[in-house]
Amino acid sequence: MDIKWRNWLKKGWRAAALAPVLLLGGCAHNPFWIFDPKGLMAKTNLFYLIVDVVIMGAIVGLTALLVVWFMWRYQKGKNRGKYDPHWSHSNTIEVFVWGIPIIAVGFLSYFAVKGTFEINPYNPTVITHHMKPNGDPVEVDVIATDWQWLFVYPQYHMAVANELVLPVHTPVFFRLTSSAVTTTFFIPQLVGMIDVMPGMRTKNALLSNHAGEYQGIASDFAGAGTSWMTFETRMVDKADFSQWVQKVQQAPGSMTYASFNRFAEPYINVNHHVVYFSSVEPGLFDHVMTEVMRGKTWPLPPMMTENMVDYLKKQAAEHRD
Amino acid sequence: MLVDLPGGWSPLLGRLAWSQIPYANPILAPLFVAVVIGAIIILGLITYYGKWTYLWKEWLTTVDHKKLGVMYIIIGLVMLFRGFIDGLMIRTQQVWAVGPHSSGVFGSLHGYLTPFHFGQVYSAHGLIMILLAATPLLVGFMNIIVPIQVGARDMAYPYLNALGLWITAAAAALIMISLFVGDFAHNGWFEYAPIFEMQYSPGVGVDYWMWTLQLLALGTTLGGINILATIIKMRAPGMTWGKLPIFVWASLASNVIALTSFPALQVALALVAADRYLGAHFFTAGMGGNLMLYTNLFWIWGHPEVYFVILPAFGMMSEIFPTFSEKPLFGYMTMVLASMAIAGVSWLVWLHHFFTMGAGPYVNTAFSVATMLVGIPTGVKVFNWAFTMYRGRLTFNAAMLWAIGALFLLLVGGLTGMMLAIPAINYMVHNSVFVVAHFHSMLLVIVYAVFGSVLYWFPKVFGFKLDEFWAKTMFWLFSAGTVLVFVPMYMLGFMGMTRRLEYVFNTAWQPYLDVMELGIVVYTLSVLAFIVLLYVSVRDHAKNRVGADAWGTSRSLEWLTHSPVPFYNFAVLPHVNERDELAWRREHGIDHVRPEHYDDIHMPNNTGVAIIIGALTFVLGFALTWRIWWLCIVALLAIIVLMIIRSFRGDPGYIITGAELQRMEEEAYRREAQIADSHHIHPVSGGVVGNAMAYQRNDSSK
Repeated sequence: MDIKWRNWLKKGWRAAALAPVLLLGGCAHNPFWIFDPKGLMAKTNLFYLIVDVVIMGAIVGLTALLVVWFMWRYQKGKNRGKYDPHWSHSNTIEVFVWGIPIIAVGFLSYFAVKGTFEINPYNPTVITHHMKPNGDPVEVDVIATDWQWLFVYPQYHMAVANELVLPVHTPVFFRLTSSAVTTTFFIPQLVGMIDVMPGMRTKNALLSNHAGEYQGIASDFAGAGTSWMTFETRMVDKADFSQWVQKVQQAPGSMTYASFNRFAEPYINVNHHVVYFSSVEPGLFDHVMTEVMRGKTWPLPPMMTENMVDYLKKQAAEHRD
Repeated sequence: MLVDLPGGWSPLLGRLAWSQIPYANPILAPLFVAVVIGAIIILGLITYYGKWTYLWKEWLTTVDHKKLGVMYIIIGLVMLFRGFIDGLMIRTQQVWAVGPHSSGVFGSLHGYLTPFHFGQVYSAHGLIMILLAATPLLVGFMNIIVPIQVGARDMAYPYLNALGLWITAAAAALIMISLFVGDFAHNGWFEYAPIFEMQYSPGVGVDYWMWTLQLLALGTTLGGINILATIIKMRAPGMTWGKLPIFVWASLASNVIALTSFPALQVALALVAADRYLGAHFFTAGMGGNLMLYTNLFWIWGHPEVYFVILPAFGMMSEIFPTFSEKPLFGYMTMVLASMAIAGVSWLVWLHHFFTMGAGPYVNTAFSVATMLVGIPTGVKVFNWAFTMYRGRLTFNAAMLWAIGALFLLLVGGLTGMMLAIPAINYMVHNSVFVVAHFHSMLLVIVYAVFGSVLYWFPKVFGFKLDEFWAKTMFWLFSAGTVLVFVPMYMLGFMGMTRRLEYVFNTAWQPYLDVMELGIVVYTLSVLAFIVLLYVSVRDHAKNRVGADAWGTSRSLEWLTHSPVPFYNFAVLPHVNERDELAWRREHGIDHVRPEHYDDIHMPNNTGVAIIIGALTFVLGFALTWRIWWLCIVALLAIIVLMIIRSFRGDPGYIITGAELQRMEEEAYRREAQIADSHHIHPVSGGVVGNAMAYQRNDSSK
């Protein structure tokens, strides 16, 4: 029943969300990423968004109409409604003005609690409760630096910088940390936000049945390079994924803690360089996290916090090749 | 040195050096020249007209709560303008720097601001709008209105009131000077850990941010104590808690929040200072620090702060609606309960600012439900305003339009707030421009209420009304700007656009950013309309003079005394009989009476100590920012010595004799009699009319 209701709401909402898009000239794809989820987590989020907007929208909309009606009816000099200079209390109305918000909040609380467990990043029941025994989940360790993303695939002993490639129909489990400052991992069409913090580990998960390319974003401000700290997320067929893994495993680069030390130096990725690493030091994720907890930092030189002009000139020259 | 300072440090000047002056910056250097020329012109004019003595005696050393309130509001409006310019710069950068092929000037790859400069602009925008525009504007109104509404002659602590103002002014000066000396913080107005640590923010920006905020917290706490003491101890005879005007209740709730939450911020900032100055590790990632501790501490203050600024705005709306509906506020008791409920819940919801931190589902649901609880009293308030209009007689003048605008914005903000309260939705729009649009909706509720209040209470403070035509023009332009900026912003939020992008990587967002830029142009027109409004109103002030009750339908105590309010507020303290005292007196035909006999009254003296201490706190903040230790010690010692001297001398105050008072009152009545639609004022003996007491009886013990 739940699913049916969800689908029904989803269709209606999508039609409504698409209306302004069609007015804008009928683009091929929906620019409203939040209304166009391609992953189970994002879909679940959209369901709760619709429930909330329908309930609250009804109350807020009716209140707005009520106010407009009062404004019309009781305008001075028009004599449309009765003027009662002393009327300022009514127990019946009091019951309604307290009752309606209390019932609405009570109702929404149920959905809030249910939704929080369904998309709990550490154990999203929408994914984990429906996993097949042989689902073969893919694990990805995410390390954010100033200002790049390193995606380590421990099962395949390889890593990729600034690009995320994942198979469809497969649960993906992330572990996330940062080497520098706090930022947030976000792929609007696939999975909601989770903070990525230095010296700490968070988790997230996603499951998508739609092959395609989706934008990944560092959605919390992390310093000068944040705007360029984006990553392409490609959901591909299982066969294509195996091929891609083989391609990465033949790349020249390798990622040890020593090379990570250089990789984590502050760097604004204005040209969206993607780097493949065919081998990764086992336990790199934990190693980085432990080092950061012990006080390891990669400080920013003043030229990257104050005189950005010189830095950007230097970097533009670097990328001129 | 306990921490590594990149760049030099000298014992005499600390970190200050010529290289810290951005004289080569193509935006700041011309602005600096303009500011210097403007300052020379203003100072020259003051000297030319010989107004220095007047300024010093009447304004800079005053302890009169109305003048201090006016100065708070002037600071608020000036900083609102500065914050608006920052907003204009943000919008222009984002509409320019879209996609990899967008052009860049002034050394920026895209647009005209480098990431570092852009960061400073939006950080300053946020801090200024919340703490240096909204807060002083609301504190200013509370300062002016609360004592008159409770029927007091001044605040409980007039000198403390002046001190609060000048410390706030010092904070405003500190953030302004960061434009031209050094730089401001570039990590957002709340400065998350560990990005504010020395490793990631080695400049003085974070220090400017920290000391500005510390001074503001101090000033606001002092103001809060004062307003609470005034409300609790200085109410006119007969004004029981059930007869308190609703704005006073809102101020009470608001300042309870201020008094309890600002110390948390001050402690958090002190710990940040320990990290940055002493090399401590409270909020670092390593060495046992906990960066999320900062986020928690900040929002333990930060969320109550949101209600600290919204509650007075609700109070203002609750005053404007009844006046222009010509009937009492619907559900007074409910309104009081709702204000107190909002104040109470405000301490229990801070975690909803970072649901994405990765707390477990039990923590998140607890805070989610607590957050939604806020919707209950807020919803009650909206319904109460609606039912205040029900069976009323509505006049849609400019003040009422602003109040109604605030109500509709509150509906939008409430709807989106209820969305953000649910973690399952929050995960998709947190840190996106959807959140930005949501809290701008809420803060615009405050701006709308403030502009409504400026129009509503202006005649009380200055004795003449503002021009209706220009006020309405400004309202419609401002509202058009609001729609054009924030509707596309909500839509961009649903497209996944995140906050604080110096460079906008998705070209599909361009048309929406274009509309927002158009909106900011319309906002600019509304700023111009405001300036015209002030000019036209002052030009025509003789035509727009008003008597005590400026609107003819006002209800509360402040409309009982003259407009402009004399410095002693009430020659004889009124006796309060009913909740809406003026409306009650009007109904019983005793709204045009005056006392027959005047007693001596006691008033506080002016003092120059407050402004000097304010100036010294600025010096202290500046010296701490630049680590000029000798100057810190000098400034701090001077402050302590001044406080001790002032404490020992105290203020005996002075006496206005009954005869003198009678002379001033008669002059005020004569002036009021010249206004066309004024009534005949007749004296009453013994302060008693019929069965009702109009004034405090002479024989009543104090």
